[in-house]
Amino acid sequence: MLPHLDAAYNLARWITRNDHDAQDVVQEAVLRAYRFLDGLRGEAKPWLLAIVRNSCLTWLQVNRPADLAGFDDRIVEAPAPEDEGPEAQAMRAFDRRMLNEAIAALPAQFREVLVLRELEDMSYKEIARVADVPIGTVMSRLARARRLLGESVRAVSNAAGI
Amino acid sequence: MTRDEAQRLLHAYVDGELDPAKALELEAHLAENPAARAACERLRGMSAAIRTKVDYHVAPAAFAERLSASVPGAQERPRRLMLARWLVPAAALAGVALLAWIAAALLVRPGADDRLAAEVLDAHVRATLAGRPFDVASADQHTVKPWLSARLPFSPPVADLSAQGFELSGGRLDYVGGQRVAVLAYKRRQHLIDVFVWPSAARPAEPRLARDGFNIERFARDGMEFWLVSDLNRNELGDLARLLEEHSAL
Repeated sequence: MLPHLDAAYNLARWITRNDHDAQDVVQEAVLRAYRFLDGLRGEAKPWLLAIVRNSCLTWLQVNRPADLAGFDDRIVEAPAPEDEGPEAQAMRAFDRRMLNEAIAALPAQFREVLVLRELEDMSYKEIARVADVPIGTVMSRLARARRLLGESVRAVSNAAGI
Repeated sequence: MTRDEAQRLLHAYVDGELDPAKALELEAHLAENPAARAACERLRGMSAAIRTKVDYHVAPAAFAERLSASVPGAQERPRRLMLARWLVPAAALAGVALLAWIAAALLVRPGADDRLAAEVLDAHVRATLAGRPFDVASADQHTVKPWLSARLPFSPPVADLSAQGFELSGGRLDYVGGQRVAVLAYKRRQHLIDVFVWPSAARPAEPRLARDGFNIERFARDGMEFWLVSDLNRNELGDLARLLEEHSAL
């Protein structure tokens, strides 16, 4: 088994949002990683995931340019809602499928930090390395990601009358 | 701390990324502000929901095999390369490290806290390796608590936290720091969490430690010391520590 393959696959699967594309991307990334093995400095996992992420972006550029919009930094900031009440309860009541769909629907740059933080349990520093942004940006993207997710959870549960 | 700053730092706090000084400042702010506290709880709830409910996509076995086969010598190549490249400086480093270690061993005896951490970790690993994580297997706090009380000179608080996603799976006795201690075994997904409890007047210095891939959380409450050990991530282990602290106060 190749090291960190599951982490690579999970990230690619969450960025491309389907199994077939994830396999293509990971395969390319792993072959590339082995070619550039000499470039490995520090920890292997963030290094490999950074390569996987870049392969994802290249792949999207060619095959699904519309999805790249999710990596656009100019996404406008929605004003924070005043009442941030019931999404905690909604989260608990939320079933697996709806939560997965809500995350899949987030813009890609927020989806990836959320996946790296919550599913890979990576530190801000490691995420910064993977996404190639400063640590401060990781922090603000995570905050945005969680706010967007909270809003979408609330919207869905309101519509469903939960 | 201003409201804006607290809001900005809340995510880093929940993610365990704040330095201890800032974390203390923020905790003081949270203690005074119910709204901020609620926001903090919401964030924790969201994080826990994602971690327990969102799909982790494992590479399909057939794909992993195919890929391993297409990377020639995937297993040995990195090791050989590393060895050749790093052998000389690594050997030099090892020499320096050895000297430093000898000097440290001569000059500084490990603190009582360090020794305890090592003992608690050893006990946890031993129990896991032996495949005997508990002497009394029960998810019922009213079975585990009397079983422990009957065999110890104290009665450890045993909380039912299944609603919060921490399932009690049993209890056992162990021997740490020269005394018999209670161990509560909780489960979260596939992770086993040992909670060591013993009466003590000490206040643990550092609330969280990481050793050899294991996380340790500890706190003192009402004359009892609690040490949590697990390979679970530090966020969720921190959640359990907080829950236990709340419950043992009741």
